[in-house]
Amino acid sequence: MGVMRIGHVSLRVMDMDAAINHYANVIGLIHTGTGPNGEQLFKGWDEWDKYSIILTQSDRAGMNHVAYKVEHDADLDQLSEKLQEYGVKTTMHKAGHLPDCGRALHFTMPSGHEMYLFAEKDAVGKAVGVRNPAPWPDGLKGTGAHWLDHVALACEVNPDKGINTVAANHDLFRDALGFYLSEQVLVGPDADIRVVAFMFRTTTPHDIAFLPNEKSGLHHISFFLDSWHDILKAGDVMAKNNVKIDIPPTRHGITRGETIYFFDPSGNRNETFAGLGYLAQPDMPVITWDEDQTWRGIFYHTGEAHAPFTEVIT
Amino acid sequence: MDFSGLKGIVKHITQITDTNEEFECAEGKSILGAMVELGRKGITSGCHGGGCGVCKVQILKGDVKTENMSRAHVSADEAASGVVLACKAYPRSAVVLTVTGLLHKNIVRGANAKSSK
Ligand code: FES
Ligand SMILES: [Fe+2]
Repeated sequence: MGVMRIGHVSLRVMDMDAAINHYANVIGLIHTGTGPNGEQLFKGWDEWDKYSIILTQSDRAGMNHVAYKVEHDADLDQLSEKLQEYGVKTTMHKAGHLPDCGRALHFTMPSGHEMYLFAEKDAVGKAVGVRNPAPWPDGLKGTGAHWLDHVALACEVNPDKGINTVAANHDLFRDALGFYLSEQVLVGPDADIRVVAFMFRTTTPHDIAFLPNEKSGLHHISFFLDSWHDILKAGDVMAKNNVKIDIPPTRHGITRGETIYFFDPSGNRNETFAGLGYLAQPDMPVITWDEDQTWRGIFYHTGEAHAPFTEVIT
Repeated sequence: MDFSGLKGIVKHITQITDTNEEFECAEGKSILGAMVELGRKGITSGCHGGGCGVCKVQILKGDVKTENMSRAHVSADEAASGVVLACKAYPRSAVVLTVTGLLHKNIVRGANAKSSK
């Protein structure tokens, strides 16, 4: 079936101890190992594969790469062909190139972001097991995030230079990787320039989002929580830990998600969000937000601009 | 009311030349953190983690201690010449600074837009 879901994100952090504390004790992920180059691996309690977050030591913040999991190893060959037909250079790496993973297919998005596809990763199981499991495990920390849900990438859009990598990424993901569009923002005199694209392979409104920016980077990574009350409690967790909150608990128009945004100690934006919004399906009519309703789409309650949210990226 | 003097908290005056603003920064607080806490503006507030670069300023006078700042936003040369990210700069004396980050760009852009009309 090709791409199943997001597999992991590899992040750059400037202070590893502070980052480990954040992802373990504030987000509440479980530390599952150390990679061959000192990378720190984490997973959510509800995930079964060994990790969904890789932390790497760096002199800057941002994302090294994002990886999506495909169903069968043979999918990698097929998708590699499709990408090449589309004109994208691919490299097939041997098992072990990504820690604890099988073969990994690498390519670079039109926006410049690095991406891998893989079919196999060591599985360690959910914290509650699979035999008569409890609904949640004891001893969760911080927000107790269930899983890494999606990434939102800031993609270079510069109309004066004719650059729109949101549109280019969208086309590539649709045509070569089989992603579907759930929601978009269209701008311009004829409302035909796609500057925001939310795309999915699962049944949720987005597995990846492409957002416009002066330059490309990481906008945010997002973790799933159950309920609106969990989002409120996430706000408490952030305050308790002196974590810089970007946007206190609110609701998005786009995806209907209930959300809170904050920053990790290196400045990478995190989100915990609740509510699966709606059932996304390949034949679902695409939802469009008009240029003058963009902020309503982003922050449904106020509908007001909050410049740091669109401008601040890593 | 400000009772911090009673507790013997050392504060340093931070001056932003671009906007002629001034506020007090308690020792141990970052320039940006102190500014935001007081509800003041002047430096763009972003990630507060030294990663996004929007709070970039140049220290003109005074002494600051710094923590991790993204090399993508402050080069080694810049750092040597007193360029810092205000969210990772902690005053150790009175400080005078000028804004070089996003806000400055916005101010300059706004001024250009006005003058070209
Ligand atoms: S606010 Fe992001 S680097 Fe200072
Ligand atoms: Fe999100």
